[in-house]
Amino acid sequence: MIIDILEHSLRERSPLIPVQALLNTCEGSRMPDVNAALLTPDIVRRVTEVCPTPALAARGEAGQLELRLSYGECIGCGRCIEVGQGALVRARTFPWTGVAKEQLVRRWDVGQKIEIAAIPASPDDGRKEIYAILGRALNIRQLDPGSCNGCEAEITALANPYYDLERFGIHFVASPKHADMLLATGPVTRNMAEAVKAAYHAMPAPKLVVAVGACGCSGGIFAGSYAIVGGVETMIPVDGYIPGCPPTPSMLVTGILEVLKRCVGKRR
Amino acid sequence: MTNGTTNKDRELHPGSPAPDFSVPQARSGGPARLVSLFGSLNLNGEVVVRYVFDAGDPEYHITERQADGPLASITPFVPAAAWYERELRDQYGVYLIGHPDPRPLLFHDNWPPGIHPMRALPEKIPWASRDYHFLEVQGQGVCEVPVGPVHAGIIEPGHFRFSVVGDTVLNLELRHFYTHKGTERLFEGQPADSAAVIAESISGDNCFAHAVAYCEAVEKACGVRVPPRAAAIRLIGLELERLVAHIGDVGFLGNDVGFVVAHTLASSIKECLLQASARAFGTRYLRGVACPGGARVNPGPGEIEELSRAVSESISKFTDLARITLETPSVQNRFDSAGVLKKEVARDLAVVGPVARASGIDLDVRRDHPYGHYRGLQFDVPLTHYGDVLARARIRIAEAVESARLIVETFGTLPVGGVAEPVPSRGPSQGYAAVESPRGELFYWVEIEDGRLRRCHVKSPSFQNWPAIPFAVADNMITDFPLINKSFNLSYSGSDR
Repeated sequence: MIIDILEHSLRERSPLIPVQALLNTCEGSRMPDVNAALLTPDIVRRVTEVCPTPALAARGEAGQLELRLSYGECIGCGRCIEVGQGALVRARTFPWTGVAKEQLVRRWDVGQKIEIAAIPASPDDGRKEIYAILGRALNIRQLDPGSCNGCEAEITALANPYYDLERFGIHFVASPKHADMLLATGPVTRNMAEAVKAAYHAMPAPKLVVAVGACGCSGGIFAGSYAIVGGVETMIPVDGYIPGCPPTPSMLVTGILEVLKRCVGKRR
Repeated sequence: MTNGTTNKDRELHPGSPAPDFSVPQARSGGPARLVSLFGSLNLNGEVVVRYVFDAGDPEYHITERQADGPLASITPFVPAAAWYERELRDQYGVYLIGHPDPRPLLFHDNWPPGIHPMRALPEKIPWASRDYHFLEVQGQGVCEVPVGPVHAGIIEPGHFRFSVVGDTVLNLELRHFYTHKGTERLFEGQPADSAAVIAESISGDNCFAHAVAYCEAVEKACGVRVPPRAAAIRLIGLELERLVAHIGDVGFLGNDVGFVVAHTLASSIKECLLQASARAFGTRYLRGVACPGGARVNPGPGEIEELSRAVSESISKFTDLARITLETPSVQNRFDSAGVLKKEVARDLAVVGPVARASGIDLDVRRDHPYGHYRGLQFDVPLTHYGDVLARARIRIAEAVESARLIVETFGTLPVGGVAEPVPSRGPSQGYAAVESPRGELFYWVEIEDGRLRRCHVKSPSFQNWPAIPFAVADNMITDFPLINKSFNLSYSGSDR
């Protein structure tokens, strides 16, 4: 038996994805991007009509028309891409993960056909930061305040030999009491509200909290339901947001490293 | 246990109980299997309760009862109806006479009594504080071990209340619905042609089965025929989802008995399939692929070949891994005889899916109630009688092999043509569909008016199977609970909705 296993392990090549190939990629995430040169008022009207959440919205009158895309509310359904005539496309890279809330929102001037807000700097290899802050030991506790299990499936994948989160010194721990970071997926349901607060209070400082997925960022498709309190921020303070429905493992890795970068030396 | 009903409920529902209910007979003899039980409001705003049974015919048997007052509970003679009737009471405020457990199911202690959201929703639901009483097991040396809702792993929330003597479990009581998101109410008023996104968010790792079941129900209600190519793409998606789920489950079972190498290898095989799926369909978990009327994605020949090859390679690696796992003595020792679910219990609780097939109940929606591309298709439905963790692992391994064969075969004979038909808008219409998801029978009921949903009921296999877990866990060591629970691998969110 043990020989079989050894043979297996030796035969297999390591599938580990190098950090550089992982950061900012988003294949399979279905997140949209905007090709500003093709934006017209008509397309803006169509894409905002089909969006099932408030992720896409138009502001202002003709001439001053602005398109707003909030990744925290986007569930990646792709309907905007279907009707967008090339002005909305699938994102090829995705640096808007692990960012602050205001960085989740992008805006375009439809008349000028340009993006208004600046894109956040894309994170480089974040290993140095983790070593600097945490001495190669970031402990993460995953908390599900009401998720559909989609985000959990992708977070679980972070431990597989392709992503191997342990290479950065990041571990998943069994209790909030052992955790530096809370990775909270899903909308907070009314039935989980108390448990979410209790988990947060059980954490030691610095109590980093990351909201994961469209539901964690904003309530997603469940926003407004009678049984939902809202996104994670409605219950506890959030340091970074990882959008996606669900975010892919590479978006999760990029996001976790970005949160660490942004929260260097942060004290509560 | 306390009686959770209030006098106010009784006042709301005066009148006498409905006449006695008769359970349809199955073709094979004995009572038919309960598929689902749910309420909806008819066009006059009155509550109608539907009882769906599987009597062995291709179509399900649906009985309607008007609930203009309290109804006689069917749980005393159909135990599988217990949670459904509690949900019916929570959603619609229908009082059920003779139900053995009148505690609220969906709404926990911070909900005020008297909220029945499917009937009327107040502007704001005030925060409240209520008591909930677990069954108290008494006797010398009996200890209570409360576990959850927040668990130790990367998993969903739920509460387990064990009563143990030493390390032997005498009784396990579940308290779930922590992830209740009011999803059935969320469907109401949505355009039927675009609400598949809600169905996809019910159970994240079975999202394609949910999407297909939703779409098939809408298609039945609207009289749409799905193009053959789209039906074949749906079959490939459903089997790929099953393959990924079963491979992951077998790995996790190894992990729970300390055979970590199985978990690592299985997670690698699973990842390889998810990446192949992302290249072929643009999505790792097949979200956004199915839509009412067909499919939104039409893979080209190159993509088909690549995915087909990934499936063939994966299944060969997986059968190798499964053999090594099951031949390892320390694994056998833990899997064998752990968490036995007896056939009689499984039948009484109308258990479905791989769990039912591991306990000797020969049931598979794909074969018994064929839909889409499964019509006329030949495939094996594995069955064993032992009902333990080993049996459930063996069923999953055998099913994974069959799923891989179906995927490769269907890719080889993929029909040509379009993949989507328009969905016409109609007056009031209704339809149902059942799909064999990786966890078992998934049932959707939709009512549509002028292109919008009036009602969408979702029976997930997990809702049906959760009540069976305490029976499989009793008399086992408490330390075997994670293993037994994993061998059922039920979805919390799918059940809680």
